[in-house]
Amino acid sequence: MTVVDPRPRVVVAPDGAPHVAGVRCQACAEPVAYPWPACPECGGPVVAAEFGPDGVVWSATVVRIPVAGRTPPYTLAYVDLDDGPRVLAHVDGDSAPAVGTRVRLLAGAPDPHVEVIG
Amino acid sequence: MNAVAVHGVGTSHFGRVPGTDLVTLAWNAVSEALADAGPEPVDAVWVGTVFAPAGVAQRVLRAMGITRVPVVTVENACASGTTAFAEACEAVRSGRYGRVLALGLEQMSTAFDGAITPENTDPEGATGLALPALYAMAATRYLHDGAVTPAQLAAVSVKNHAHALHNPRAQYSGRYTVDEVLASRMIADPLTLLQCCPTSDGAAAAVVGPATGGPREVGVRGVALRSGAPWGRRSPHVWGYDIVHETAADALAAAGLHAATDVDVVEVHDAFTIGEIVTTEALGLVAPGEGGKAAETGVTALGGAHPVNPSGGLLSRGHPLGATGLAQLAEIVWQLRGEAGGRQVEGARIGLVETMGGGVSALDGNACVVAVLEAP
Repeated sequence: MTVVDPRPRVVVAPDGAPHVAGVRCQACAEPVAYPWPACPECGGPVVAAEFGPDGVVWSATVVRIPVAGRTPPYTLAYVDLDDGPRVLAHVDGDSAPAVGTRVRLLAGAPDPHVEVIG
Repeated sequence: MNAVAVHGVGTSHFGRVPGTDLVTLAWNAVSEALADAGPEPVDAVWVGTVFAPAGVAQRVLRAMGITRVPVVTVENACASGTTAFAEACEAVRSGRYGRVLALGLEQMSTAFDGAITPENTDPEGATGLALPALYAMAATRYLHDGAVTPAQLAAVSVKNHAHALHNPRAQYSGRYTVDEVLASRMIADPLTLLQCCPTSDGAAAAVVGPATGGPREVGVRGVALRSGAPWGRRSPHVWGYDIVHETAADALAAAGLHAATDVDVVEVHDAFTIGEIVTTEALGLVAPGEGGKAAETGVTALGGAHPVNPSGGLLSRGHPLGATGLAQLAEIVWQLRGEAGGRQVEGARIGLVETMGGGVSALDGNACVVAVLEAP
């Protein structure tokens, strides 16, 4: 059975940087990390938009329990992409980056993945 | 429109009982609720459950002779039980039915080995965000913002486990110290094991009908139900704050109350310690940033100014998802009748139930129900 991957799609833009390929609302400008058919905030029409690659950690945690398909410990962060949506991303290492840390999207990983850029 | 009252409540014991079937758990709750309410039959049933198999409502009800009536199953994540209650109340209020049974049930022990992971066809589930990690994100942010301390987080667990010492139906209870809570195994930083609700099985039920002024009827002053708005950088709050705040405002207005501080006793959705802290602030029971201090200083303990989770809450009584909301409701009914034994909030006249369920990516919760109840 083919299952559609629901995770944010990371594409490499012509400038070589990875971006999240989502949509932006034409009515309220809400950025959305997913190719949804209408704006989740107001129901307005959307157009394709790309976000990132840089952003800031809103919060983070280290998951230390078994989760199907994952090997603990692993680190997750909610990242507010610059002028973009909040996305859930993996971070290398087993300690959580501090709130406010600048991060950058990486290309090539199946999960949204960010590295700390200081 | 009819004034609505709770005529009877009942629950199973809460615990991890994979060898007990849902028929038995449901019977324990429904038989107690029907005995409490009196012998009249029910005209309709709303059932809340999250992970039970298709047909579970009719399967458990046939075993107790409740057939030939409308039966509706609802799923609203952790708020499924209180959603069933909200719909039952509305059916009575509007005159659609006379006496309605609301039943919540769940057997988590046969559905999950450990933490719940959101649906993997949704981004957060596919990315590995187990539910404790979602709450951990809120806790991390609160710590960073100076809105809570680790000891204050732990104080919620200490308080609720101590409350449950007086609740014979609770899954767990105990006298823990803040240090013991913080030293328990880390689940998702900064939340330790004793700050997380257990895997639980159980059922809870309420019989709702028109208010007749009976000496044991608990009045339903107001009920509200909402789904969450998109949650992201537009909100200045952590996940789960806005939906509770807005649903509570609806319920308090329906009840004719000015503020949650007019309420004498509260049961809230403390699936994790940070959840109780955020919720007490979102309800307006304490000021923003004061939830942790309220737990630490005893404001939200039995005997404090605003007792929260006298039953032990989800952390200690247990959290069988679909049953939880009606278990909370049963506790508030017993409190308002003065039947809560060693955990009684003396003189409680107004009570509030809050349940919030989440897991859908990008939303500030799937559903929240807030109900305001009044003593006979």
